[in-house]
Amino acid sequence: MNNQSALLSRRTFLRGTGVALALPWFETFAKSGRGVDETPKRFVSIYHPDGVGLPLKSDPAWKDWSWFPRGGERDFELTKVLDVLEPLRDNITVYSGLSHPAARQVHGHSNADQYLTGAPIGGQGPYQNSISLDQVYAEHAGEFTRHASLVMSTNGGIGGPRGAQTQSFNREGRPMPAMNRPREIFEMLFVTSSKDAAAKLARSKSALDFLIENTRSLGRQLSKHDQETLKQYLDAVRDTELKLEKAQRWIDKPVVEVDGRNLHLDAEPKEARLYFQTMYELIYLAFLSDSTRAATFQLGRENGEGPHDLLSLAVGLGGAHGLTHQVKKPDGWKNLGTYNRYQAEEFGRFAQRLKDTPEPTGRGNMLDNTLALHGSASSSFHLSRNYPLISAGGKNLGFSNGRYLKFGKGNEENQAGAGIDTDAGWNGKIEVEELPLSKLFVTILQRLGVETDSFGGYSGTLSRV
Amino acid sequence: MSGPFKNRTLPSAPLRNRAGCGYGKWLNRISCALVLVFGGPSSFLAADSQQNPVTLEAAREQGRTRSRFLKETQDTPKTGEAMPVANTAAFENSVAPLLNKSCLACHGPKKSEGRLRVDQLNPDLLNGPDVERWREVYNALSKLEMPPEDKPEYALADAARGHIVDWLGGELNKASVARRNSKEYSSFRRLTKYEYNYALQDLLGLPYALAHKLPPETASKEGFKNSSELLQMSAMQFEAYRELGLKALKRATVSGERPQAVTYKISMQEQMDKAMAAKDAKPFEKTDAAYKKHRNQQHLLSLESGKGILFPVGNATPWSGAAAEGTPAVSPVRVVLPRSTELKLDLDRFLPDEGTMRVRIRAGRSSTKPDEYASLRLVFSAHTSNNANFSQVVSERDLAVTGDADNPQFIDFEIQLGDIQRNPFRKLTTTFPRRNEFLHIQNISNAPGGEDSLNVLIDYVEISAPFYEQWPPKTHTDIFFASAQKGDEETYGREVLNRFLRRVWRRPVSAREVDQFMTLFGKSRPGFPTFEEAMLDVLATALATPEFLYLTQRVPTDEAKAASKISELELASRLSVFLWSSIPDEELLKLAEDGKLRKPEVLGAQVRRMLADPRAKRFAENFVQQWLGLDRLDSVTHITDRSLREAMQDEPVAFFRDVLMNNCSIMDFVHSDYAMVNERLAGHYKIPTVYGPHFRRVPIALQINRGGILTTAAMFAMNSDGKDSHPVKRGVWMLERILQDPPPPPPPNVPEVDLTDPEILKMTLKERIVDHRNKAACLSCHSKIDPWGIAFENYDALGAYRTRIKEQPVDATSELFNRQTLSGIDGLKRYLLTDRQDQLARAMVHKLTAYALGRPLAFGDRAEIDSLTRQLRQQQDGLGDLIQLIINSNIFNSR
Repeated sequence: MNNQSALLSRRTFLRGTGVALALPWFETFAKSGRGVDETPKRFVSIYHPDGVGLPLKSDPAWKDWSWFPRGGERDFELTKVLDVLEPLRDNITVYSGLSHPAARQVHGHSNADQYLTGAPIGGQGPYQNSISLDQVYAEHAGEFTRHASLVMSTNGGIGGPRGAQTQSFNREGRPMPAMNRPREIFEMLFVTSSKDAAAKLARSKSALDFLIENTRSLGRQLSKHDQETLKQYLDAVRDTELKLEKAQRWIDKPVVEVDGRNLHLDAEPKEARLYFQTMYELIYLAFLSDSTRAATFQLGRENGEGPHDLLSLAVGLGGAHGLTHQVKKPDGWKNLGTYNRYQAEEFGRFAQRLKDTPEPTGRGNMLDNTLALHGSASSSFHLSRNYPLISAGGKNLGFSNGRYLKFGKGNEENQAGAGIDTDAGWNGKIEVEELPLSKLFVTILQRLGVETDSFGGYSGTLSRV
Repeated sequence: MSGPFKNRTLPSAPLRNRAGCGYGKWLNRISCALVLVFGGPSSFLAADSQQNPVTLEAAREQGRTRSRFLKETQDTPKTGEAMPVANTAAFENSVAPLLNKSCLACHGPKKSEGRLRVDQLNPDLLNGPDVERWREVYNALSKLEMPPEDKPEYALADAARGHIVDWLGGELNKASVARRNSKEYSSFRRLTKYEYNYALQDLLGLPYALAHKLPPETASKEGFKNSSELLQMSAMQFEAYRELGLKALKRATVSGERPQAVTYKISMQEQMDKAMAAKDAKPFEKTDAAYKKHRNQQHLLSLESGKGILFPVGNATPWSGAAAEGTPAVSPVRVVLPRSTELKLDLDRFLPDEGTMRVRIRAGRSSTKPDEYASLRLVFSAHTSNNANFSQVVSERDLAVTGDADNPQFIDFEIQLGDIQRNPFRKLTTTFPRRNEFLHIQNISNAPGGEDSLNVLIDYVEISAPFYEQWPPKTHTDIFFASAQKGDEETYGREVLNRFLRRVWRRPVSAREVDQFMTLFGKSRPGFPTFEEAMLDVLATALATPEFLYLTQRVPTDEAKAASKISELELASRLSVFLWSSIPDEELLKLAEDGKLRKPEVLGAQVRRMLADPRAKRFAENFVQQWLGLDRLDSVTHITDRSLREAMQDEPVAFFRDVLMNNCSIMDFVHSDYAMVNERLAGHYKIPTVYGPHFRRVPIALQINRGGILTTAAMFAMNSDGKDSHPVKRGVWMLERILQDPPPPPPPNVPEVDLTDPEILKMTLKERIVDHRNKAACLSCHSKIDPWGIAFENYDALGAYRTRIKEQPVDATSELFNRQTLSGIDGLKRYLLTDRQDQLARAMVHKLTAYALGRPLAFGDRAEIDSLTRQLRQQQDGLGDLIQLIINSNIFNSR
C-alpha cells in the first residue's frame, strides 16, 4: 500500500510513440467518491458503414474474402479479411448471428443511427432515437473523468436522421455531435481554457445557494408532512450542487500535459492512414490520461459519397461505399475484403497499443481493462442482419477471448443474404434466427459495472460471452 | 356573463334549463314525485329487477327512486362539532342477531371464509381496529353480493339488510369524520409535467409545448397522474426545470433590432409560368379527354383559360423586396389539390434555426357541398441522401378550408422552427448531403374523388420566419415593460421582479423577497453584457423555486387562524390547477388578493367563468384521459387507422365536455340517447349523415347500441388483446374506472389458460373464461370481474358492434355475483341505471374529488364524499353542479 501511495503521488511521466505525457490524474480520484485503487473500466466502439463482403460458398472468392471466420468456437480460422488480427487471436472475439430486431427489414443505409441504440427508427416518416450504449456507460462513469465521453467520427457533427454521422445519442435520443478534426480533439482534451466555464459555475452556485435558502424559509411555514415532501426538492438541489462542485474541481485542476508535436493533428481523411492512425492515437491518449472512459468513433457514413468516403484510399481503392456495389465486378470481393482488412488492421494496431501499455493505476495492461467493439449495422449489401462484430480486450472485466461465437439458428455458415448486390436482399424474408444485439450490450454494461438488466427494450444477457 | 350555469346559486338550486340533455324534462318531473311516493326506509333495496322497465329512460327513472342518498335527510356531522360517539348499543340489540343468523355459518367459528369472522369484529368503529373489514361487509351487503343467492337458508330480508346497512353506514361515517384530521395524504405536491407546461405557457404567453424534456409522470393505482404521493423530485428533474425555464424565458424575450425575416412569396401564377417554360413541359387543357388522368393528382390550373400542368414540387427562394409589401391580388392560377394530395415546396436552406415560422396559405374550396370538408395539414421533410430522410407533421391540428374558389381565405399556421426536426446539413458549404428542406401542404378531406369532387385551390403561399406580430413582441414587454425607471437598473430591476414574482408565486411579494433576488442579480450582472440577459438568469431561478413548482399550503403562524382552511390565494391556485391545469390569471389572483374570492356569489361566478374559458378544455382532456386510462390506446397496436385512433381518443373527452357544459346528469355516462361523434367515428358506429372531422352531438336510435362512455370505441379498443375482445380487461376496467370497486390483484400462482389443450382450443372465449373461473384459485375474483366484461361481448377489439363471432351468435349474457343476470349491453346499462345509481354517483364524486385534490382519498375522506354525493343526487346529478359542489366543499378548502 505504501508503495502504491508513493507511486500515486508523483507526477508520472510516460512516453508513447513520440508523445510525452505527464499524468497528474491520481489526486483526482482521491477526491471522487470511489476508491483510488479502482482500475478504470473503459469502453470504445468503432463503427464502419457499408457492412462487409459475404460471397456465396459457391463463389471462388468465398475461400479468402468472406468476412466471417471458419470453424468452431476455439479452432476458428480467420480468412484473409481478418488474418491481420491473428497475432491478437487470444485477445479478440468474433461474433455472428446478432442484430437489432427492429431494423432487420430496414435498408442498411438508414441504420448507422441505431447500431448502438437498438431503437426502432424505421425507414421513413417521423424519427425518434434512444440512448446509445456508450452514453449509458458515460452516465455511470462520467463523473470520474474530465470528459464523460469522447464522440468522434470522420465526418463530424450529427449527420441527418437515418444518416447519422455520430454513434452517440443522449438520454432523450438526440444525436451528440461528433468531433472530426484531430487538432480540435487534441485541444479539447489537453489544452482546455476554462475561464468562461468557471464564471458560469460560480453563477450557478449562487443560484443554488439562493434556492436552498428560499426553500428552507418556505419549509418553516409548512406542516411536518409537507416538509418531508419538500425535503425531496432540497435533496435534488443539493445533489445538483455536489455535481457542480465536482465540475469545479475539474476546472481548478490543470489538464494533463501532452506534447502533441509528433502527432499529425492536421491530417485529413484523404490522407487516410495518417488520419486514421491519429484519431486512434487520440482515443489511446484520452484513455491513458484517464480523460474519459467512453469513446465512439464512426468511420465515414452510410451511403458514403461526398468527401469523407475516402478511407479506402489507404489501400489504393476508390470510394468505400462503391466497393460494396462492385462486388460482382472482377476482383470485387477481393477489393471490398481488402478494405475491410485494412479496417481490421488499424483496429488491431490500436488494440495492440493498449495491450503494450501497462495499466497505470492497476493490474494488467490497458487492453485488459478496456472493451473495444468494432462492427457495422449491416453484413452483406444493405442487409441489416448478422452484424459483423469483433470485440477486443476486457479480460479483467470478465471477457474470455480467443473465440468465435455463433448465435442464432440456421445460418451457421453465414450464407443467408450472401452474394447479393441488389436491393432484393435487405427487405427479403427473414429465414434464419438471430438474437438481439442488445443482449450483448447488457452483458457489456454489466461487466463495466452498470447495474441493469435491459437495453433498448430487450432484457437478459448473452450466454457463453 | 355567459357561463354554462348562469342564473345558478349554490346550494339551493332551482331546476335549471337542461334542454341540452336527453332526459331534461323527464328528470324535472320525477324529482317532484320522488318525495311523495318513495320515502320508505329500505326503498333502495326494493329490488325487483326482474320486472324490466320498458326503456332505459324508465330504468333510470326507477333507479333514481332507489337512492339511499335521496331518502336520507340528515347530513354528515360537521367538523368542529362534538366528537361523535360509537353506537354499539344498537349493534348489540338489533344488528348482531341479524349477522349471527345470516353470516355466522360461513364467517364464524366453524368456517371463516375469506378469513372473515363477523363474531370477532369490534363493533366500535371509531376506536376499534376493524374499520376496513366492516367496510367490506358494508360493500358486500349493500351490493347484494352476500349472503349468496344459492344459500336460501341464510337469506336476509330486505328490511333486515336495510337495518344492518343503515347502522353500518352511519358508523362508518362517524369513524371517517373522527379520522378526518389524521391526514394520510396531503395535497402539497409539485405540478405535473402537463401542469408545468401550461403554467409556463400562460405565464409567458407562449402558445406551444415547452416541457418535452421532462420525464412522463407515473399514474397512481387509480390512474391519476397528479397524485401527490407519486410526484417525486430528483436532481435530474430539477436540472431540467432550470434549463426549461431559462429556455422559455429566452424565447419570450428579444434583444437588439428586429431581425430581418426570411420571406417566401410563392405565387402559383409564377410557378405555372416556370413550369410551362420548362423544356420538357407537358401542359394540358381542362377540356382534354386526358384531364381525367390528371385531375386526381396535384396540378396547376388556370381557372380562366383552363390550361394546366402537373406540379410535383415547387421551388421557392426568399423574396428580396421590401418587407412591408402587401399581398398580391387573387390570381386565377391555382394549384389544385384533390383529397390526400399535397403542395410540396422546396424551400432550399434559408429558414433560420429558431423562431416562429408563419405560413399563410390563401385557399378556397372548389365546391361548397355541405357534406364535404377539406382541411390543411403541414408536413416538414428533408431527403439528405438515399435512405436518409425524414418527414414529420408539424401543424398541431388540421385547419378547415372555408373560403370558396372566388373568395379564397388566408389560413395561418405558426410553427416553432427550433422544435421541429430540421435538416442538419442545411449549413454545409458543399452540396452533399443535400441541404434543402421541404414544406408540404396536405389536403385532408372526405371528398370522394371524381369529376366534381371537392378540391382545395391555392393561389398564393407566404412563409416568413422569424415572424413577429409586433416588435418587441408582447411576450417581451410583459416582462420588460415600459417604465420611467428603465434607466436605473436597481429600481427597474425591482419593478420587473415584483411583477414577475407575483405571477410566478401566485401571491403578493414582499420588498424583502425582492431584495433577495436583487442580491442574486447583483452577483449575476457582471457576467452579462446587458441588464436583460442578467435579469433573465435571475428570473430563471425564480422559475425553479418550490413556490412555482409546487402547490403550497401554508400553516398560518397565527394560532387563532390555525384551522385547516387554506388561504384564498392557495384556493385560487388550487382552483386554477383543477380547472385550467395551470396558474391563476390576473382576475382570479386579484380577487384572492383582495380577499373576495370566497364570497359565494364571487366564487360561483369565477367557476363559471373558468369553465367557459378555452383553458377549461385542459381539464376535460386531462381528467378524462386519466380517469378512463385513455393512454392505453397508445400502447395497443391493432388500431392502424390514425384518424380512427385519434377519434377514439377524442370522443370521451368531447362527451365529458358536452355533459359538463350543459350540466347534464352524470348518469349520461352510463347511457345517453345521443352520441358525440365526428365523421370517422360515426362511420365506425354506423351512424349516418355525419360529415367533417369535428365532434358534435347527434341523437341516436337504440339499435345503434351506443350512448354514454361505456360503449365508446376507446374503451373496447384499449381493453382488448389486440385481436379480439378481452372480457376480463373490460370487467376490471368497469370495476376500477366506473364503479370504483377495484378487484384485488391476482394471486401469484394463477394458472395460465393452457392454449395447447385441444379441449380448451375448441371452446368459445366465454366458455374459456367460465372454465378458468371455475378453478378454485380464480373463482372469488373472477366471479366479480368477468360478468361485467362478458356483457360487452357484442363489441369487437375495435369496438364495432357484432352479432356473430366466427359463425356463432354472440353470447353476451352473464350473471353477476349476486345472481343478477346481465343480458348484453342493454341489460348491463339497465341494471346499472336501476340498481347502481348511488354507486355510480359516488364513484364519480370520488374520481373528480381525488383529481381536484391531487391526492388519493383515504378513509378519513369518506364522510365528505358521501355528503357530496348526497348533495349531487339531490341536485339531479348535474356534472356542472358537481364541480361547484366540490369547489365549495370543506375538503377542497382544507389543507
